[in-house]
Amino acid sequence: MKSILTREQTYLYQGFKEYVSRYVEPEAAGWDLEQGVSPEAISHLSKEGYLGAMIPEVYGGKGWDIITYGLLNEAFGKSSSSLTVLFTVQNMVSSVLMKWGSGKQVEKWLEPIAKGEVLAAFALTEPNVGSDIGNVEANFTKEEDVYILSGTKKWITFAGMADLFLVFGQCEGQTIAAFIEKDTPGFTVTRINNMLGFRGCYLGKLDFENVIIPRENIVGKQGFGISLIAPYGLHYGRLSTAFSSLGLMRGCLELASDYALNRKSAGTTLINHGMIAEKIADMGVNYDAAFHLCVDAACADEKGLPNVMEQMIAAKYFASRKSVAAATDTVQILGAMGCHEESTPAGRFYRDAKIMEIIEGTNQVLQHVLGHTYAKRFKSKTMKMHTAETI
Amino acid sequence: MNAVQTAIPVKELLREFLAEASGIPDINDDTELFSTGIVNSLFAIQLMMYIEKTFNIPIAMDDLDFDNFSSINAIANFVESKQL
Repeated sequence: MKSILTREQTYLYQGFKEYVSRYVEPEAAGWDLEQGVSPEAISHLSKEGYLGAMIPEVYGGKGWDIITYGLLNEAFGKSSSSLTVLFTVQNMVSSVLMKWGSGKQVEKWLEPIAKGEVLAAFALTEPNVGSDIGNVEANFTKEEDVYILSGTKKWITFAGMADLFLVFGQCEGQTIAAFIEKDTPGFTVTRINNMLGFRGCYLGKLDFENVIIPRENIVGKQGFGISLIAPYGLHYGRLSTAFSSLGLMRGCLELASDYALNRKSAGTTLINHGMIAEKIADMGVNYDAAFHLCVDAACADEKGLPNVMEQMIAAKYFASRKSVAAATDTVQILGAMGCHEESTPAGRFYRDAKIMEIIEGTNQVLQHVLGHTYAKRFKSKTMKMHTAETI
Repeated sequence: MNAVQTAIPVKELLREFLAEASGIPDINDDTELFSTGIVNSLFAIQLMMYIEKTFNIPIAMDDLDFDNFSSINAIANFVESKQL
């Protein structure tokens, strides 16, 4: 694992892990129980610069490379998925802003986002629309100098804390995206509690009633909201989710390994029971495999390789699936201890892992894409082979 | 580097990229990439990233026009115009 990281990446990763051990791990269960990461914790993250990890230093960010950003998510994912999803949305919105934002938008919002003075949310999902993003129903009506927005967004991460929302909708039969600030008249946010997992992430519903949006808040151009702008943000969301799933797997591995090495049953430690060793072996190999997929996808992004989207999708798909498997096995190995949330975080890992399979493209949608991708890739090789045989 | 010098390599690279990514080996230079479904929303981002990295040109908000990316010929013309 170390062999594929640079010395600087390794050094920063170690620092992230130390931060998590000191400031996140002791609080994570409480945030889950109270259904909200503490504002103090978010403020502390801002001071460390973690909310502007990939934003260039000139805008007040850290300017870290994409692998280092992934490692940040891995380190935090080990202890609190609710916190890593803050990195996810902050980065999704800032990536879109840097790529498609106007000069004025960048000037107004990028530095405050980098410094954590502005928290951002990615408002795509609606009550009637999840994976089928091309059919979002929020309606923008174009008027002389402004747009009027009406509609509802639901299941929006960090909606309850965000200052700036990137909202997607339809306008004149085309998709569109716009930035909307939280205090805009006609815009209300309602918290959604008691979710299965990610309980600390201030999930919310957004209602827009004839909200007036200045034309200068439109992102990119009308017609590109879903074809380019949303997928761009989701691409980086998948990166965060993949690495965060990886961190969750490491949390499971540490928990299960400690227990298996210490707990005695039938005169020996659990690790000496073949069925337990098998589960931990699978977890470990899956962790290492997912780690390589994640880093490889990040490298593909840096290099602009032709299949970067598929690589990112594969990393998210594999890491999230294996995090569910790891959490399931961890609860199984720990038995009652794994089911009692005051004793261990295994139950929280189990609940959070399931969410990883749903966010930033459900795994079924990703399977659909990957199924076609791999079929095309291997079909061409087979065809060449048959052609050669024929000749 | 002028438009004539870059035209052939740009198209060749695009043909190679599109064939690899779409699994369709022989895409005509005038074939509509979006309306034929060769490029979908996921692939659109991939195509954009590829163009930026390979030809070292930033694609910004003002370049958002489907006409710039509608075919191999259109992309090649767009790349040339940005490189001038």
